[in-house]
Amino acid sequence: MKGEAPVFTIGCGAGFAGDRTDAAARLAASGVVDALSLECLAERTLIAALAARGQTPQAGADPRLRRRLTPLLPHVHSKGCRIISNLGAANPRAAAAQVAQLASALDCPPLKIAAIVGDDVLDRAERVQWDQPVTGRLIGAHAYIGSDAIATAVDQGADVVITGRAADSALFAGPLIPYLDGSDDALAMALTVGHLLECSGQVTGGNFEQPGGGGLDARSLANLGFPLAHLARNGTAEITLLDDDPGIVDRLTCTVQLLYEVHDPSRYITPDGVVDFTETRLEETGPRRVRVSGTKLRGKPKQLKVIGFAEEAGFIADVEIGYAGTGAQERALRAADVLRHRLADWPQDDIRIDIVGLNSILGGASMAANAAAPELRVHVSARCPDGETAQIIEDEVYALTLSGPGGGGSLRSERRRNIETVSGLIDRDLVPVGIEWEDRA
Amino acid sequence: MRVGDIAVGRSGDKGDILDLSLVAVDEKSFERLERFMTAERAEQALGLAMPARVTRYVVPGLLALKFVIPGALPGGVHASLHAGMHWQKSAIHILLDLDMDE
Repeated sequence: MKGEAPVFTIGCGAGFAGDRTDAAARLAASGVVDALSLECLAERTLIAALAARGQTPQAGADPRLRRRLTPLLPHVHSKGCRIISNLGAANPRAAAAQVAQLASALDCPPLKIAAIVGDDVLDRAERVQWDQPVTGRLIGAHAYIGSDAIATAVDQGADVVITGRAADSALFAGPLIPYLDGSDDALAMALTVGHLLECSGQVTGGNFEQPGGGGLDARSLANLGFPLAHLARNGTAEITLLDDDPGIVDRLTCTVQLLYEVHDPSRYITPDGVVDFTETRLEETGPRRVRVSGTKLRGKPKQLKVIGFAEEAGFIADVEIGYAGTGAQERALRAADVLRHRLADWPQDDIRIDIVGLNSILGGASMAANAAAPELRVHVSARCPDGETAQIIEDEVYALTLSGPGGGGSLRSERRRNIETVSGLIDRDLVPVGIEWEDRA
Repeated sequence: MRVGDIAVGRSGDKGDILDLSLVAVDEKSFERLERFMTAERAEQALGLAMPARVTRYVVPGLLALKFVIPGALPGGVHASLHAGMHWQKSAIHILLDLDMDE
């Protein structure tokens, strides 16, 4: 890196709550990475954690904690690999205690475990400036907190840092910051690296097809490596993979991930700073090696983003029935029309009837089918004010087996709580963030 | 020729905002993509699948275009009436499949 000697190497151990555990285990065991950050929290998973905590106050940590950390904790001391993760979800304290118990059960040497607390702002929800009026019952409200407390914990010798709703990029910037030169440019680069790494396989060839089509083969995808980054003190970084792990790291995989979910590329807002990617340079320096530099910091946001979950009464009923054999497509379309007649009075915005295999994903933008499909499923989702009404939707679809087109079968249904995601802003001084150390004893 | 022959793409979301990225394979393709893939054209194509009012961002240094569509995903991921969840991860194919020969 043109005399920019790497001072720290960080890997990504998970990009979402349900991510694979094998790639992380290989990174931790490799001895190559100084820290492994695991992003395990999204809107959907935080809702599940809040629901669990609502039932039992001691719950609310990621239920996959044991499975995810069991292959990692033994490497913390032997390979010098710190672990940073938001698998505290709705209860970082409880998660830190679980990590301590797990380390003990695994006979690990004593670990210094920090829980970062303070992101839960439900009790201050009236102080949040919501983007839109919140109509449902608020079941959770969490501020996206930055990297400061994580960096402090690492600086004070933490082996494992557990957070709740820390920003994804902060999970990576936190452990990096104590090792960088303290400049705005270095912080901008730490956040850039965090953003590039936070979705695990998305930067190493997952969820990626080459221009013109074609991606990694099934065996490579089945064993896909997760990314790592070597950083110099000024924050300039190289993104790559473990030598033996399959995957692609090139300008295209890095650019689509750099821009992923950032909205305005000149103003990507994180709690640690507003980041400008328009001057970021991505250069291929070797096979599966991309040098990243040039990101600029454009100030620090005065407020923190808040994500809230508002539960409306009732359920979403999601029901399907399948059709197979000759004429499956015509029968499925006719069954959907039967339901449109039967449910004609349902409020239009609260129901969707479509055909899985034809138009259930992209609706009217789905491509026309060239040939009749051998099997199709009619799908209905409807917002229902209560369980009794949800039953009506489910029964209407099941009734097609007796009173619909011939041969309807292979039914399935689920009921989801009707939870809307809302977002807003809160003043920083209303979100005091703290570090709580877990004593292993 | 499809957009997907000269660019790669990815869908993402935050709350009710859909966020699409296209990255061209080289500078010439980027110039062509920038001319073709206007906000209006994206709006027209995406409008078949969702309410779409598109803001386009152009990032020449990265050979990339971004399309941001607030309100495309009413209520967020969990409140969707689509079959299953996260249908929007496929939405980029609406743009990748557009025919550029005309």
